Amino acid sequence: MEDPAQTPAIDGTQPSPSTHATPSPGESRAVAFGIAAWLLPGLGHALQKMWGRALVVFFAVGLLVFAGASMKGNVFTRQGSDAFDTLGYIADMGTGSFYLFARAIETKGADVSHAGGDYGTRLLATAGVLNLLAALHAYEAARGHKA
Amino acid sequence: MTAVPPLELTHFQAILLFAVVISAAFGFLGRRRPKDRVKYILWSLFLFLLVGIGIGWAMFPFSR
Repeated sequence: MEDPAQTPAIDGTQPSPSTHATPSPGESRAVAFGIAAWLLPGLGHALQKMWGRALVVFFAVGLLVFAGASMKGNVFTRQGSDAFDTLGYIADMGTGSFYLFARAIETKGADVSHAGGDYGTRLLATAGVLNLLAALHAYEAARGHKA
Repeated sequence: MTAVPPLELTHFQAILLFAVVISAAFGFLGRRRPKDRVKYILWSLFLFLLVGIGIGWAMFPFSR
């Protein structure tokens, strides 16, 4: 039977090569760097010897997590009661291992009855989203895209 | 782990912390040359504070 992927298109152009190829070593490496960057903020850049970016990401995410938890922000857990809690949990999980750090700091629980606690919740979510952005940046840099 | 003393910041201190950290991170991730980074960090810091304070002033009539 003829492989549809090799069949010329109606307009006569040749089809692109099959998209089911196994990922190249470079792609696997880039994915590994992205996961490392998520697990420990800055690690994805450090592994690529981007020391300045690694330090800034590490301290930026760390400072936001520390400030957010110290301000009694809400560190969301998996047992969320609504969609906003779930979104908050996803954002908080973006900090990777620093999520555990936030849980360890905030031993007395959140207090969002004051503006400070509300700000803390936002800082924690910001830290997570920032780390996800940095992980994506590390992944793109490892793929050779200009960064 | 010993309890960390609660951090109490004013509204302005909180937005300043946010703006400084995010501007620095964006500057380092988004720009390569040091001069470009400094320009980007200062410009985004200024805009963060301007927009934050502007929104704060816009909400003032409805605050009480």
